[in-house]
Order: sequence, then structure tokens, then C-alpha cells
Amino acid sequence: MTATTLISDAPQTESRPARHPRGARGPRIAAGLLRGILVVAFLFGALFPLAWLVISGFKARNEVTRTPFQFFPEVWKWENYAQILSDPAFLRTVLVTLAGALIFAALSVAINSMAAYVFARLDFAFKRLVWVVVIGTMFLPGMAILLTSFIVVTRLHMLDTLAVLILPGAASAAQIFFLRQFYLSVPRALEESAFIDGAGRFRIFVSIFVPMSKPVFVVVAMTSFLAFWNSYVWPVMTISSPDLFQIQQYLASFRFERGNSELGLLMAGSALAAAPVIILCLVLQRYIVEGIKISGIK
Amino acid sequence: MRGARRTRRAPRDTLIAFVMLAPALVLLAIFVIWPMVQSAYLSFFDWSFYRESVFVGFDNFRRVLTDDAFVASVGRGLLFALMVVPTQLVLAFAFASLVAGVSRRLASVLKVSVFIPTAISTVIASIIFILIYQYRGGIANWAIGFLGIEAQAWLADVGLALPAMAVPAIWLGLGVAALIMLAGLLDIPASYYEAAVLDGAGWWQRTFAITLPLMKNTFVYLTIAGFVANVQQFELPLVLTKGGPQDATMLPNLLIFSHFRDDPTVGYSIAAAFLLFIVLGTISALIFRFLNSTQSED
Repeated sequence: MTATTLISDAPQTESRPARHPRGARGPRIAAGLLRGILVVAFLFGALFPLAWLVISGFKARNEVTRTPFQFFPEVWKWENYAQILSDPAFLRTVLVTLAGALIFAALSVAINSMAAYVFARLDFAFKRLVWVVVIGTMFLPGMAILLTSFIVVTRLHMLDTLAVLILPGAASAAQIFFLRQFYLSVPRALEESAFIDGAGRFRIFVSIFVPMSKPVFVVVAMTSFLAFWNSYVWPVMTISSPDLFQIQQYLASFRFERGNSELGLLMAGSALAAAPVIILCLVLQRYIVEGIKISGIK
Repeated sequence: MRGARRTRRAPRDTLIAFVMLAPALVLLAIFVIWPMVQSAYLSFFDWSFYRESVFVGFDNFRRVLTDDAFVASVGRGLLFALMVVPTQLVLAFAFASLVAGVSRRLASVLKVSVFIPTAISTVIASIIFILIYQYRGGIANWAIGFLGIEAQAWLADVGLALPAMAVPAIWLGLGVAALIMLAGLLDIPASYYEAAVLDGAGWWQRTFAITLPLMKNTFVYLTIAGFVANVQQFELPLVLTKGGPQDATMLPNLLIFSHFRDDPTVGYSIAAAFLLFIVLGTISALIFRFLNSTQSED
């Protein structure tokens, strides 16, 4: 909120002084112009590639790679979108990935919030040791355990199941850390009376902490959902039956198998696969910025 | 807080604590800690899925460290990070300064827009940039055509492929860096600027005397985290170029992964991954400590 009160037009007498004070007229116009150019540049840089994806999805098969270059399609072809949406393999992939991502997000919230609450509030044996071990897992580069994780899930006969996609990442030190930061900031007075009434720790967690956790739960659910929806390498390694194909896996194999011949179709599919993610960002935007503040990274 | 806890000590909740921690601990133990232990162990063995493993001491590490391909890939990873991270920092700082000076509504539009690419999967980003870099009909060649530059084979050119790959990396990673930068910028008390403005300091002076020194931690964090993340870029070269042309985009993690896929003896990959873990994991743990210890000072 303070971001937006620092506008250059704010009068100097205001308690919060402007970051850009009024200067001479000329420089002020130049500064305004520069700011305008920057705004356009950032919006363009961030959004153009996506717009380009959507536009290309409307292009005919050979139009995408045709010279001379054409910005807009000659004819806006809905066919690509219609065709990919009527492909049962694509639809199944979307549904399977969506189901997996939702289960993963819910599980991630439940498991990590309980752990975070315990670390934030409870006093127990070996607390320090357990905390160090848990938080230590945050610093493992994925590649260091990717290969041996694969060996582990192979041994557990988990290959080619939905479980292999959901379980390995559900407990996350980063999420536990983030949620714990939030629980540490909750005043102790809030649980004191429940404590005196003899409510157990789990009751207190469910009846007092869970209801106030909406903003952090949204962030955890969203980041978990995104991580699942966007994951590519793990599904490629562990899923081979087409019934369980994940969306990124589908898109990449589409790209590798059909090369440049069906780019329009591939773009339409990619645009559709990106859509839920973009919608999620738009709907939950205010939580994202809050989340960065809570995480304490700044 | 700590003193209060000591005088009115809460009962030790060891049992309920471990019950509530159980899901997280069990999952982390099976899918993160156990693979890590195995990684450390197996890196000393000549191991494969099909044979008895043989203890080989430091042989795997020797093989990795004397492998020109591995050493070259680490150098390439650093070069790649050197292209991505400074660019990202400059853009993120420009973004934060810009957002701090525009209206509230525009600020939130900018924040969401710049965040959206972060949520897009690497696979889809790769697909978009494959399209943008098409030799025929690609928009990159169309754009440089206006400057009178002849068409380039961006991703197929040994000299151009790495910088061409840096663009999607910057695009994907800017959102988080920019929002963290913004949070850091808004954390600076307005009174500092008030004093500077009274003394007649201009924008440049304020930036170099107040903003940048006070944001040192943010810059340190983003630089190191950015290097650690970008040296490890893996999916991007995998989907975009498969490491080609002529290994021009073969970053360390992709090399390890290809070894794992093609090489029947897994020792090399695991040792390489483990080496990377020791170096990068230590670096990340150190910045984490550094940030946690300096955070309370301001």
C-alpha cells in the first residue's frame, strides 16, 4: 500500500514525502515520459510472449513458419483450439493433471501447516535437531536427489501411479518454513484462553490457527498447484502409461514427436495449458505480494 | 518472548508434536533424506540397476572432476548465470523504482503482469521461445530485419544459443526478483528520503547514497540465489535445445541427467550431482543464515 502513496504529485507537506520531488518543468516532463516508456516496456516484455502464444494458436499449420513474416494470422482459425480440445488424449491429460494438482495442493496445505504449527508453538524433545534436519532439506538441489529418488520410487513399486507424482513433493521444508513464519507472528494470547479451557494442541490448531490461515494457505496451495501443474522432468521419468500423462509431458512430447509440422496446434495446446495458471495469478494476485512479505525475504 | 516462556513453561508436548509432525517427517524421510543418504553412499560405488555394486572409493569423483565435458558445463553454467542474473537485477531494480512511483492501480497491474511469467512452466516458455526464434517466420528475425541485420539461426548457432536461452530464463525469473526487490525498496523508511530532499539531493544521489546501500541484503540475496538457480537450469536447455548445438547449451544438470539416462553405470551422475549439492547447498545454506542474522538489524 505504501507503494502507491509515494506518487510524485503528492504535495510536499504531506507526512509521507514524495520520492520524486517537484523540480523544474522540463525535467519533470522528461521523467514522466521515461516512466511511461518503462511502464509500456515492462508490460510488453512480460506479456507479449504469452500474447504471441495465443495469436500463434490461431495460425494455420504452415503459417507459423512462413516467410515473409506475418504478425497476425491471415484467417483467425479457431480450428486449432477446437481440434486440440476435441482430442481425448489432451482432455484426459488436462483432467488427470488437474486432479493430481488439486490433491497435491490440499495435501501440501494439510501436512505442512500441521508441521509448521508444531515448530512454531509446541515444546518437545529433540525439537532443535528435528528442525535443523527438516530445514536442511530445503537446501538440497533437486538434481542431487533426483536420481536416487527415482531409485527409491522404483524400489517402492510406485512407478506409473498418481502417488509417485503426489507423495514425494507433498512435504516441503520451504512451505513449512513459510507457514511457521506466519504462525510465529500470531499473538500467544489468542490461544491462551482455549488452553486454560483444557483444549488439546490439535484442537487449538484446528479451531484457532486454521481459520486465521487463509492468506497463507492460499499461497501454499497456489505454489503447490503451480509446482505440480508445471512439473515436467519427474513425470517424464516416472510416468509411462498414457493414461497418467501430465500436461507438460504431453506438450513436450508433442513438440518432440511432431517437430515443426503442427506448431499452430501445439501453440493452441500450450495456450490452453497456460490459461489456468494465468487465471490463478489474476484471481489470487493480492495474496502473492502478501506472501513475499510474510516470507521475510526482502 | 523467550523469557516469558521460560518462567511460565508450557507442558512438553512431545507425543502430540510427533503425531502432528509424522506425515511431514515420514514423507521427507522417504523421499528426500533417504535419497540424499543414498546419493552420498552410492557416489562411492560403481552402481547400476542390473549388477552388484562395487566399492570404488573416490573414483567417481575423480572421473567427474577430470571430465572435460563436466568442467566445461560448469563454466558454461556460470557464464549463463552471468548473462541472466545481472540483467535480472537491473531490470528488477528499475521495476521496483518504477512501481514505487506510479499510481496504486497501475502499480498493481504492473505487479501482476510481471509475476505471470513466473507461473508459466518451463516447457511452455520453451515452446514460446522456439516459436519466437524460428528461422523462417520467427518474430525475432523479423524484428532484427528492421535494423538491417540478417536473419539468425538463434538456437542452432553455437555462439548465439546460450544468450538466446538467457532471454526466456530472464523472462521466467524476473517476477519473483522484481517483487522481492520492491518489498526491499518499500522497507526503507520515508524519513531518510525526506532528509535527503531537504538537503537538495537529486534522484541519482538519493539512489546511490540511500537506496542502494540500504538494499544491500536484497541484492546479495538475489545475486547468490540467482546464481545458484541459474547454474542449475535444466529443463530450459532440455526442452529448448537438448543441450545443443555442439553442447553450446549443455549446462551441468543437463549433462548429469543425460549421463543418468544413457550411461549404464550411475556412479558418475550421482557423484557429479553430489558434488554440485555440496557446493550449491552450502552456498544456499550460508546465504540463508546470513539473511536471518542480518534481518533484525534494520
